Amino acid sequence: MEQDCPHLLFYGPSGSGKKTLIMALLRQMFGASADKVKVENKNWKVDAGTRTIDIELTTLSSTHHVELNPSDAGFQDRYVVQEIIKEMAKNRPIDTKGKKGFKVLVLNEVDKLSREAQHSLRRTMEKYSASCRLILCCNSSSKVTEAVRSRCLNMRINAPTEGEIVNVLEFIGKKEGLQLPSGFSGRIAQQSNRSLRRAILSFETCRVQQYPFTSNQAISPMDWEEYVSEIASSIFKEQSPKRLFEVRGKLYELLINCIPPEIILKRLLYELLKKLDSELKHEISHWAAYYEHRLRLGQKAIFHLEAFVAKFMSIYKGFLIETFG
Amino acid sequence: MGKGKRNSGILISSSDDEEEDKDLPLKNNFRSAPTRKNPKRAKRVSISTSSSQHSASNGFDEELLLNDLLREKVQFVLRIKSNILPGQRAYVNSVKQEVKRFCEEFDQGFTQFKVTSGFGSNKDLWVQKYKPSLAELAVHKKKVEEVKMWFEERLRNSRDGSCSNVIIISGQAGVGKSATIHAIACHLGAELCEWNTPTPTIWQEHLHNSNSGICYMSKLEEFESFVERIRKYGLVSSSLTRESPKSIILLIDDLPVVNGKVSYGRLQRCLHLLLQSVRLPTAILINDYGKSESTDHNSRYSEELQLSLQNAGACKVTFNPITVNSIRRILSKICRLEELEVSDEQIDIIAKSSGGDIRHAITSLQYFSLKPNPMQSLPVLKRLSTYPEGKGNESSHLDNKYSLPYGKDATLSLFHALGKFLHNKRETVNLVSSDRDAMLLKEKFVRCPLKMENPELILSQAHGQARLIADFLHENVLDFVKEEAIEDAWIVATYLGDTDLLLGSLSGALCRNFEAENVIQSTAASIAARGVLFGNTSPVSSRWHAIRRPKLWEAEQSMWCNKYGMVTERRDVHSNINLSKLSVLATEFKPALKWLGHRVDEDVEGEQVRNEDDGMSLDEEDDEIEEW
Amino acid sequence: MAPVLQSSQPWVEKYRPRQVKDVAHQDEVVRVLTNTLETTNCPHMLFYGPPGTGKTTTALAIAHQLFGPELYKSRVLELNASDDRGINVVRTKIKNFAAVAVGSARHGGYPCPPYKIIILDEADSMTEDAQACLMPCGAPWRHTQKLQDSSSFVITSAGIIGMGMSLITGPIIEPLASRCAKFRFKPLTEEIMSSRILYISKEEGLNLDSEALSTLSAISQGDLRRAITYLQSAARLFGSSISSKDLISVSGVIPGDVVQALFSACRNGNFDMADKEVKNVIAEGYPVSQMLSQLYDVIVESDDISDEQKARICKKFAEADKCLVDGADEYLQLLDVASNIMRAISNMPQECSFGS
Repeated sequence: MEQDCPHLLFYGPSGSGKKTLIMALLRQMFGASADKVKVENKNWKVDAGTRTIDIELTTLSSTHHVELNPSDAGFQDRYVVQEIIKEMAKNRPIDTKGKKGFKVLVLNEVDKLSREAQHSLRRTMEKYSASCRLILCCNSSSKVTEAVRSRCLNMRINAPTEGEIVNVLEFIGKKEGLQLPSGFSGRIAQQSNRSLRRAILSFETCRVQQYPFTSNQAISPMDWEEYVSEIASSIFKEQSPKRLFEVRGKLYELLINCIPPEIILKRLLYELLKKLDSELKHEISHWAAYYEHRLRLGQKAIFHLEAFVAKFMSIYKGFLIETFG
Repeated sequence: MGKGKRNSGILISSSDDEEEDKDLPLKNNFRSAPTRKNPKRAKRVSISTSSSQHSASNGFDEELLLNDLLREKVQFVLRIKSNILPGQRAYVNSVKQEVKRFCEEFDQGFTQFKVTSGFGSNKDLWVQKYKPSLAELAVHKKKVEEVKMWFEERLRNSRDGSCSNVIIISGQAGVGKSATIHAIACHLGAELCEWNTPTPTIWQEHLHNSNSGICYMSKLEEFESFVERIRKYGLVSSSLTRESPKSIILLIDDLPVVNGKVSYGRLQRCLHLLLQSVRLPTAILINDYGKSESTDHNSRYSEELQLSLQNAGACKVTFNPITVNSIRRILSKICRLEELEVSDEQIDIIAKSSGGDIRHAITSLQYFSLKPNPMQSLPVLKRLSTYPEGKGNESSHLDNKYSLPYGKDATLSLFHALGKFLHNKRETVNLVSSDRDAMLLKEKFVRCPLKMENPELILSQAHGQARLIADFLHENVLDFVKEEAIEDAWIVATYLGDTDLLLGSLSGALCRNFEAENVIQSTAASIAARGVLFGNTSPVSSRWHAIRRPKLWEAEQSMWCNKYGMVTERRDVHSNINLSKLSVLATEFKPALKWLGHRVDEDVEGEQVRNEDDGMSLDEEDDEIEEW
Repeated sequence: MAPVLQSSQPWVEKYRPRQVKDVAHQDEVVRVLTNTLETTNCPHMLFYGPPGTGKTTTALAIAHQLFGPELYKSRVLELNASDDRGINVVRTKIKNFAAVAVGSARHGGYPCPPYKIIILDEADSMTEDAQACLMPCGAPWRHTQKLQDSSSFVITSAGIIGMGMSLITGPIIEPLASRCAKFRFKPLTEEIMSSRILYISKEEGLNLDSEALSTLSAISQGDLRRAITYLQSAARLFGSSISSKDLISVSGVIPGDVVQALFSACRNGNFDMADKEVKNVIAEGYPVSQMLSQLYDVIVESDDISDEQKARICKKFAEADKCLVDGADEYLQLLDVASNIMRAISNMPQECSFGS
């Protein structure tokens, strides 16, 4: 294994342990020195033909690996991949006796890279494969081009099942010396949407809110989720342009707090679906998919979120009139 | 009043719409074409800029001004030329043609100027010639009084230095900021010491200079060194007070134009330095560009700058645009003095179209009087006056070049356009469907004919960018949709979404194709406008609505702010874990941390422990990896 | 390319045929090319066909057979289209390369004809602006004419499977068509694949049962390179004896029962059940695009769905696929697809009865 390490591509839903796994892997390859990382804000000047582009990126590096989020650079990600990675890959670590002659580059969110960036990524992979191994990490592998995928060993990381989450929570409970009422960890696991990180965070939150735990203790959802469910109920109450305007204000509120619009939309769909007839469910899920797609292509998320809300209002009002006259 | 600063009012107003790109280096040599008429001029150009640092001399050479104007033109052409990709020749050529035509027109005007200027022995521009005294100022009396009081007070106790010596005067271009200061200085018998934004260096000059060893100084650098000098040596006070016992007023006319956050930071620092160190009463004049119209950073920075200066103790006075009546009064006075026969109606139009910019109004009047036969353009003006707004700009479809110079690029007309789209006035009877049998539309697609011009025409007059229009419409349209018509709201929202999609397709394309971009821009704007018109089937009866500024802008700003904050936070707090995604941070860590309160430090460690726990829970996968 | 450690050399490279005649299954192409090689009269060539059928292999083999290892460096320019970006780079490289004229002295037993070869590999994955330059009037075409006597082009284009094929393969072919000899590479048949795979596994000392073998050729869909890559990955992870399950887990193909579970949930017509299945698919981390293509196979092959229903469903598949390519959310798209399948199977109307 040591000598023959291919490029790796980890993919799987959020909170399934990709990062943890990568860190563990690095630790095994390089020993404890992989843990000694420093965070830097690096500035690069990239020469892009007619002008130079300044790119600022946060990197996390140890002597053996560098981790970065190339997609933080927005639509300049192409240059990040091309130049920066190239430069890094060229600087091979110093070979003291018997040490591995390559550096590991951990790239997060490769699925958010533009197509051009992914193409240059693949070229980099080939060119510097002797001095550098890439570990790519992303949520969905279908957004990574075939060319990149075929050059990596693909590792699908599935989300832990609820049972597994319960086990982990109970393990933590034991370590921290906490009394867990029966079924409590199960409820946390249920709410966690199969994300372990989410589960542990809400576990800790519960611990802060109230301890000792009671078996019927409420597990509070994230504040933004509560906010979305408020939006949903206000949509159900009234369907009018005025209400739409109010909803817009609330959506702004969420966006300001950097909640990604697609996550807002998904959560909203989830809240709406809870209270609908199945016929409407089909319709609404269709429009949600439709507007989410447009949201990706457009620039201003609010336009499309609002259009979705308006569409829902319109459908729901029609439905109410039809049913109750 | 000012020197080469903005005397080019005529030129700028007419080339506004093509001025799209400013900051690309100038490469091509197009300079010879417009300047070839007078070989001497080219030489002068370089002279004038190399001496740009302290062009405080009031002795003003007319030809120099013209050179400045020409250079501006040339520079503009250069800007355009330097951007061309091979495919855009045609477009550029057409622009070039336009500019050239304009140059010719201008030259024509220029020659006539020489001829006609015979009757008034003075060759000055009227703006210069009719520089107002304190009593004549068109600015609101109260404001003038306020400023005057301030100066008097400062000059009286200039020695004690207890309070700040800086006054900021802001206002849109041509409302008489510098004129006021000049008049006051004159009135108080104080010496006026000016710093002007030096005229820009053009590329060839820069090349020439750098060859001959003179190094290039940016405007900002020049300003900085100026402030530094004042601070260190008290230059002005020492050198001038010896000669004249008079008191001195320092005037900083228009700050250097800067771009980007970094240079703004520099400018701000520099101004603060000035604020702290200056002993003389100092007036800083700041141009406000139409606030509502610009989403760009510059205006935001400029606002921030003013605020921070105010906080540092500077006094601020804002001048409003000058009323039409005052302008009219002054114009007719000038006409009287110049013995010009201009009808009241014409003066009225000039005054109205100036948008409160008196300098522009006077320049327009002068240009107007240069026409070989002023009466010739009268019909146009008459037609113009049928428009309620009386905007010269809006007559562009009349295709008359004389009408062009009167208009000022007015933000107001954007609001008119928005108002038209939002109010969505329609004929009550459907005339169209009855006589056109070929076009049978479904009931739900039929709309009554619009009670307005073609939406595209209105758009082109409003000069609004598609993005801007979409944002405004999006913010305001819901006010105009009837309570029960949620369906309409949806249709409108979808059309606005379409606009956004079109505009979104522009971003990210690094190689820019102007033609395509223009098409997309105008299509997007038209979809937004027409979508609003079509979608809103039954607009609310027209009661008065104020058009709000899109909240979207603020929301976006604060979003960026938060995002940036989160990135820094990620660096500080999560220094030992791997980089998490921003979305995860926002949706999971941040809310949780809110609950967990202030235990941030412990938290970092806690999370580390937990990370290892994660690893254990995923043993299966770990084993998988170990095997190979 | 930088030298690679022997042990980690991809098998795709290791087992690349070195001679034109060894290229599997492309009989006509091989026949014509062998002629070409004998006469050393090399026209411009355009290779196209699905990925993994031997286009690059053939191009490299020609070059090697014409010039031999010694002259190879100076006579052959390999340009990966994804190589350093701007078309300017490509242009200057080509120009500089072709500018030096060469003689035709025979060298070490190789024919060494008096021209150079430029291989533009994977022309379909060039950046958009590079393509824009390349396509209508760009480098290779002009250079092809100008430098005809000193260089010759081989363009391999991975055809149909790549994204946006109408955009890419079409325009590349058009301006070059009249000047290039076109060679179409057929997809490989299962027998050819199997024999090749068996050969490699024998060389590498792998144990491959017949089930695994057929699985491998099924999941690689006629793409030999992919098959070999899977094989190597599986060998890395699971050692020398490889089962069909191992291959599936390596390839990212979704196990049949997961697909079936989703499909039967859709059949059931219960929205919430389908929603749960969809969530499960996402949580398990299966790529939705892969899910779509497998679901598509299932639906097209099932007998109890009418053609009209199938058409309705497939239309939705196409839409969802496009959305995914645009970067839309996987959960929402899959949910939409599932909902459409449900509605189609239970013959619910397409249009909503409320609202509009």
